[in-house]
Formats: sequence, C-alpha cells, structure tokens
Amino acid sequence: MSQVMRAAHAGRRPRPLRTMLVYLLVIVLGLTIVLPVIYGVLGGFKNTAQLSTNGLGLPHPWVVSNYSGIIKSGTFWRAVGSSTVIAVGTALIAVAVGACAAFVFARFAFRGREFLAMLFAIGLMFPPAVAILPLFVLLRTFDLLDNPLGVVLPQAAFFLPVTIIILRSFFRQIPREVEEAATMDGCSTFRFFWSILLPMARPALATVSVLAIVTSWNNFFLPLVVFNNSDWWTIPVALQQFKTEYSTDYARVLAYTVMAMVPALAFYAVAERQLIGGFTTGAVKG
Amino acid sequence: MARPGLTDERSRGTATMSRTELLADGGNERRRRRLRRWLTITLFLLPALVLFMLLVLAPIVIAGYASFFKWNGLGGPPTDYVGLDNFRTLLSDEVFHQDLWHAVVLVGLSLVVQLPLALGIALLLNQRFRGRAVFRVVFFAPYVLSEVIAGVLFTILFDPETGVKFAQGWLADPNTVLYALFIVLTWKYFGFHMIIYLAGRQNVPQELLDAAATDGATGWQQFRHVTLPLLGPTIRISVFLSIIGVIQLFDMVWVLTTGGPVHGSETLAVTMFNFGFKRFQVGYASAISMSMFVISLVFALIYQRFVMRRDVQGAITVMGNQG
Amino acid sequence: MLSLTRRSVALGAAAMLALAGCGGGGGDKGGSSGGGGGAKKVTIEWWHIQNTVPLRPVWDQIAKQYMAQHPNVTIKIQPIENEAFKAKLTTTTQSGKAPDLFQTWGGGVLKQQADAGLVKDLTQDVQPWIGNLQQIALKPYTIDGKLYGLPFDNGMVGFWYNKKLFKQAGIDTPPTTWTGLLDDVKKLKSAGVTPIAVAGKAKWPEMYYWSYLALRIGGANVFANANNDFSGPAFVQAGQKLKELADLQPFQKGYLGADYDTPNGQAATVGLSKAAMELMGQWAPSVEEAQSNKKLGDDLGFFPFPTVEGGKGQITDAFGGGNGFAVGKDAPPQTIDFLKYFLSVQSQQMAAATGAILPTAKGAETALKDPRALEVLKTVSGASAFQLYLDQAYAPAVGQEVNDQVSALVAGKASPQQVAEAITKTAKSQ
Repeated sequence: MSQVMRAAHAGRRPRPLRTMLVYLLVIVLGLTIVLPVIYGVLGGFKNTAQLSTNGLGLPHPWVVSNYSGIIKSGTFWRAVGSSTVIAVGTALIAVAVGACAAFVFARFAFRGREFLAMLFAIGLMFPPAVAILPLFVLLRTFDLLDNPLGVVLPQAAFFLPVTIIILRSFFRQIPREVEEAATMDGCSTFRFFWSILLPMARPALATVSVLAIVTSWNNFFLPLVVFNNSDWWTIPVALQQFKTEYSTDYARVLAYTVMAMVPALAFYAVAERQLIGGFTTGAVKG
Repeated sequence: MARPGLTDERSRGTATMSRTELLADGGNERRRRRLRRWLTITLFLLPALVLFMLLVLAPIVIAGYASFFKWNGLGGPPTDYVGLDNFRTLLSDEVFHQDLWHAVVLVGLSLVVQLPLALGIALLLNQRFRGRAVFRVVFFAPYVLSEVIAGVLFTILFDPETGVKFAQGWLADPNTVLYALFIVLTWKYFGFHMIIYLAGRQNVPQELLDAAATDGATGWQQFRHVTLPLLGPTIRISVFLSIIGVIQLFDMVWVLTTGGPVHGSETLAVTMFNFGFKRFQVGYASAISMSMFVISLVFALIYQRFVMRRDVQGAITVMGNQG
Repeated sequence: MLSLTRRSVALGAAAMLALAGCGGGGGDKGGSSGGGGGAKKVTIEWWHIQNTVPLRPVWDQIAKQYMAQHPNVTIKIQPIENEAFKAKLTTTTQSGKAPDLFQTWGGGVLKQQADAGLVKDLTQDVQPWIGNLQQIALKPYTIDGKLYGLPFDNGMVGFWYNKKLFKQAGIDTPPTTWTGLLDDVKKLKSAGVTPIAVAGKAKWPEMYYWSYLALRIGGANVFANANNDFSGPAFVQAGQKLKELADLQPFQKGYLGADYDTPNGQAATVGLSKAAMELMGQWAPSVEEAQSNKKLGDDLGFFPFPTVEGGKGQITDAFGGGNGFAVGKDAPPQTIDFLKYFLSVQSQQMAAATGAILPTAKGAETALKDPRALEVLKTVSGASAFQLYLDQAYAPAVGQEVNDQVSALVAGKASPQQVAEAITKTAKSQ
C-alpha cells in the first residue's frame, strides 16, 4: 500500500512556487532551532574575553585549542566509551527482557494478563527521582555500585514499560495466519518467537532500542549516584564536572558541550531512518 | 497459545479409539499442553517481572509507605508515623499551589503553541523536497541532546548581560521565567511530537487528498477536513503525552533555573527534589511524589475514558480477536 | 490498532521523558574499608569539594606525602563538585553509610548525621593535639559538647568593596552604620555605579544580609535564644531593614537569576568592577579573581557588617563559618591520624599559601600572603561572638526555608512579617 501511495505522490505535478515556500519556511525554522547549537559551536572557538565582549559575533581570532584539547583528552573519550557501553547495555537488556514479556502479553490469553500489563503501565506515572533512595540501598546490597550494571539494570527496568507497550502492539499486528502456518510446520513457541516474530518486528525493535539508547545517553542522576570511580562517568556527569572544574573558562565548557553533542547527533543521524521507519512502518501496517 | 488447527487434527486422528481411551489420552495431552503453556508464559514473563518489581515497583511502594511518616531519611527506616499530615501540609502549601498553576500554564501553552508548531513542521517535512532527511535530523536534534547540554546553551543565551538582546535576563525575572522556560521546553521537546505527527501523517491516504483536490478543495480545506480528522488519534496521544510530561517535568527546569527565581518556574518534581535532597524531609517529599502519581493516574484514567475512548476501543477489539 | 501503535510509541516516549526527567539524588559506597591498625593495608575513602585549583593539587600532595610515610595506607581521593557532592552524600547517608572522610560545614546537617550515628565522635581521639587549632573555629563542629568534625578553614562574612568605585562616588571611608550604608548605596547609584552584587539564584548570599541584620538588632545571641521562634521583633525588623535596602534597587541587573561562582555571577561582577561591593566570606577575593580572570589587588577592601542604630549587637560580633572534615563511623583509625597530618602546621601552610582558605592551625597564618586575609583572620579570632551560617547552623529544612524566604523578601514577593512567620512555622515543625 505504501508503494501505491508513493506512486500516487510521485505522479503529482511539481509546483515550483510551493516548493520555494516550503524551503523558505523550513530553512527559517531550522535556523531558529539550530541557533543555540551554532552559538555553542562558535563559542567554543572563542576565549572567555571574547565571550563576554563579543558573545554573539563570529570568533576573532579563532581559538582552536579548546576543541583540540578535548579531542586529545583521554577523559573525554573514556566518558564516550562508558556512555556507549551503558547505553547499549541498557537497550539490549530492556529490549530482550521486554520483548519476551510483550510476546506473552500479545499472543497469550491468561488470567491476570491485563492486571500485569497495567502494573507495567503504572511505572510510567511515577517520578523516578523518588525511587532513587530505595534503589540505591538495593544496588548497594547487591554490590552493584561502581559497576556499570548498577546503572544498566535500573535504567532497563524503568524503560521496560515503554518497551513492553510498544512491542506488544507490534506483536499483536502479526496476523494470526502466520502463527498458524508456523505451528503447522512444527514450529515451537520459542522458535516462532525467535525466528519469525522478532525478525518481523525489526522496525519496532529498532525504534525501542534507539529510544532506550537516547534515554540512557542523557541520563544524569543515576550514573552520578552510582559511580564513585570517575572511570565510569558518563558524558552528562563528566560535562557537569567539567563545567565546575573549568567554570572560569566558559569557552572551554562550550567546546566540551559541543563535543558532548557530537556522538548523540551522529548516532541519531544514522539511526534516524530506522526511527522514523519504525514509527511509520507501524502506522502503515496498522 | 491456542492451536485450534492442531487440536482438530488430533481429535480426528483418535476417532477410532474407545471412548474411555480417548478421554484419558485427551486429558493427559491437554494437561501436558496446559503445563507447557504456563511454563512458557512464566519463563517469558519472569525476567521482566523480577527486574520491574525489584527496581521500579519496590521503590515506589517504599516511597508510598514513607509518605505517611515524618522522616529525614537518616538512621534507618521511618518510625515517626504522622498519618495524612504530610498530605494536609501539602494541600495548604502555597508553593504546591504555584506548582499546580505552573503545570496548568505550561500545559496550556504546550497545547496552544508547542503542539501546533510540531504539527505544522511535521506536515511541512512531509512535503517532498530535496534534503528532507537532513531537516528531519535538524528538527529532531534538540530532543536527542541531553538536558545538561541544553541548560548550558540557554543559560548563556538568556544571560542578563551578554545574552541575545531581546531575551536578556528572562530567566532572572520571576514574571518572565516561566515563559522563557516554555521556550526552552518547546525547543527541546517539540521534535518528539513532530515525529509522532510525522508517523501519523503517513496514515492519511494520498488518494483521499487527491480526491479532495480534484473536487476543488483548497489546501486549507484539505487540511481541515481530511488531514486533521484523520490525525485525530495521533493528536490525542500527543496531547496526553504532553500533559503527563509536564506533570513530571524536572531535568530541564533543574539545570536551567532550579525552579527560581522565587519559585517562579518551580514544578512539582522540583519541589519534591528540594524537600527530599536539600531539606531532608524525605517523608514529605514522598508525599509530593505520591500526589504527582495520583494526579497522573487520575488524569490518565479520565483521559482514556473520555477522550481516547474510541481509540482504545479499537485496541480492545484487536485484543479480543487475539483471544 | 493503528492508534494503539502510535499511542504505545508515544507512551513509551512519555516514559522516556519521565525517565529523563527525574533521576534522583546521589550517593555512594560509604567506602569504609574495614581494617584495623598496625601495618594492615587500609583504604581511606576521602570525599572533598575542593575539586578545582588551587586547593585540589594541594590536597593531592598532602595525601601523597602521607601515603609515602605510611605505605600501608591508601587514600582514595574523590573530588566532587559542591552540588553533586551534596546529592551523593545525601543518598549515601540516607542509606546508612558515610565515606571515611568527607566535607562538612558543621551545624545542623552534622548534627543530623551525628544523631543518626553516621559520623564518629572525635572528642577523645583528637584530645592530645586539638590545642593546635583555633578554639573559635571548632564551635560549629561541636554538638552537645562532642566534637564531630575538624575545620581546615574558618572565617567570617563581611563586605568586600572596590575602593576605586567607592572613591568615584565620593565615599572616603566605608560605612559603619546601616544608615551610612544606605547613604553610600544612594551615592554609588547616583554616580552610575551598581552598588551591590548578589546571587539571587543561589539564595544563600541573600541570607547573609538578614542574618547579620538580626544579629546587629537582636544581639549576638539572638539566634541561640530564638528557640525556633523567629517571629520576634529583631527578626521582623531585620526583614524591614533589608527591605529598605532592596527598595533602593542596589543590585546588579538580573541578580535574581545570578549564581555566585559563575562567569556572570556575583563574584565575577565584583571582580570585573561592575559592582562596588558584595557581602561574602573569607574566600571572596580568590573567587572574584578566579571568575573574572582579573586582579583587583589593592583596590579590594574589607569592612565588617555595619551596626544598626539602636541595635544590641556589636560590630565585632562575627557571622561566618568555614570548611571541615567529618569522619565516617566505620572509617579505619588511620583516618584520624591522616586528619592530624592534614591539619598540621605544614599542611595548613601549604593550603593557606594558595589564599583560598584561612587556616585553623595556629601558626599557619604566616603563610597568608594577602594582608586582607590576615585582617579577616584577626577579626574572626578576636570576635566578641560567633554565629555560624544559618543554613548550616539549623536543620537543613529550616536553613533552606530561611534562604527561600529571604530571597522572596529581597525580590519583593514576601513581607518581613510573612518571612518571620514562615521560618517560624518550618522551625516548629521540625
């Protein structure tokens, strides 16, 4: 159906005036959105004196040392590394565990199903900040402090409701006939789940993973609380530390801020197709 | 998992057996199958349940329990039971009233400004033009950036001395801070709604729009009478999320203003954080978070019951089919 | 089904928002590493908030020297930024642990920690050498006659002013009375100079004004005798006097959103000569310099908070505090030995030489290079009375309420009467 749509779309006559207007709007709006980021990027090329006297203009002269210093610093890359490990870990666990649960919620009828599903949904209504104290005691009991799992597991747990809700509805959309055919072929429940359902739900899995990674990437308080050892500091925590450590050197802080954006933006630029694809595939399928 | 086809085959196959044999065999088979079914359900559900109960539900329950105590959080479990006192204090607290008012204002502004903006941009990005993918990245970029980063950028932009000329000091004035905060929130989160709309827009069949165009409908009429109604469910979800998001709002406020000046931009979650982590009134802070929970829950239930009813009904039918 | 799909996606994202939204506090392994005395290997977990130059490298060096002399001791240093430290420590202590050695300001917070049995009573252990420290500096760390922490820095709050800007407005000598101060503020304003820089976002710098006014009006024991009742005339009048000042609009542009130690904060404003004075503690010159990258040098002067006409307080009654370390309840005994080394005259001289602290070890003040620092040290040592910062002296709930209320008063959002009542209400509920 989507192909039909596309064909119909493509068949329309191009209207130059309209296209111009679209470009104009998109560019103006886009610039407004990017302005703060551009300001940050340029600010990173200034020194503090320039920032206070010439906050909004172009750098003069261009100071490259702020950026090059950060690129050369091991601590920055270590933060990128641990952010990556933690984000990927969170996504893996949340999606693996969540997909299993969503599968059962979607394809099995059993007593208490809706109650359990509701229980997970309740997790969305609660401010996680309050959970942090009991959570902390728990993590210490299991000796998970200063351990990436101490951040990964709670993050995955808090992301479970989302994962389950999204995947459940995707799993539901797989037509019954597919399941019946598989069963006829002697497919076990697990095989059906693993080699038929999961591959079919790939866009949904990608969507959830991207969301989980972004969430984990930006999380500040949990890693702050869990990691004593600065080796495991994630980017937001490292940025906050950097901010106070070099509070006098705002240009350098801006440069660090800009550098901290790069991995997230790069990741998003790559995952964007998946993400929108995931959203839209789901929609078109329904 | 029901396997009707399989069951039929089997029973037909055993048709020649005696009646008693048939019953016994079918019973065993059924019992074995039921056992396997429950085993599958349990195995698939267990990891999620353990993780969720231990790391999400247990802390929530503890917080609920703590909300009935006067407790500074130090020195072991709470002992000073005060019944509903924390909630009574909360209801008469002016800051709490202000927080609620701020939530109302932010929700109102979001509905009137942020969501229409997101919808407009989504429709714009749905047009075919060269470089569309790039713009999608650009518009979604703020959502991907962490709040700490956004905080650094906007603190400088709103700086009373060196900031952008017309916006200087907006964060420093109790009368403008909420609106300045709203600008940042719009910047940070509109991309999320945009994506939802973008997905929803895929649902509006082009044939319908083409047909409308053939009938002589103007662009606006097409939008008003075709696109908008078909986007109904999407918009209702977006509104829902926007409101729940405002009720729980914390990070962006915290890094930008910490709720000030003079509580001018304080939200429920910020008040809760202040009491829990600055004033060590953990019992009271728990009461605030319970109230946030209740507000969210009640809102969600009402909204589902009255606004999203039709959308949810569709879902239930699907569920019923699934059996 | 469609809608459900999207709803789910959306819901999921909502959860994300919520997740991203909140987070929580902080805290950490209260790394006691057990281990008794002797040559057994022990680790001391040390959390401090001097995470920047100039003090951070000094602390590192002191720890290194100590470890060289005591090969069986490992000191794990964890420098943390102030706000992050508070969040981390809160979580840790609320879960029943404490680091072996950690930053404290004494007063109400330390009392709560002591009441909860989280910190060690040091009274006996430090008996042999406690005489090496200035006695007045120990007061904030003494709770019910027991010593729960030791200060490495102690000082007082007063006005730091820009002599050049004062001259420019025709002021030759700094004011000694409140009326004099108000007059000078008017003179500065009419000379086109911003009279005062204050950090309205941080709030605690505003609290200094109200506290000092109450001390000057009600006398040195006004807080000690308050008994959780802040509705008395001294407190209400303090609010009225502060309102008189605020009504002159003496503060820098956008002060309500200003922090203390950021590039455009209170300290930087004074450091860049954009405001003529600030009411601040002993660290003011070093922060002004650090945040503005400018040296005011001899242009910077210090004068004590003026007296209020008809008030019971004296100009020599000091208000202030400092920085210290408390020892976690499970800390190895070597922690106290390290603290002794840390507070020795040599170590304290190293720290004092940076100009960032006023040392508490007797004899270490010789390392102070700045004559104004010495002046503050002398003033505080010879003070007729000493009151700790209110947000440290009281339980955190009361301290924060004072900060909140005074901040509202300065912003014109609360009356002196309301401020006094609100603080009383919170204090009584504790």
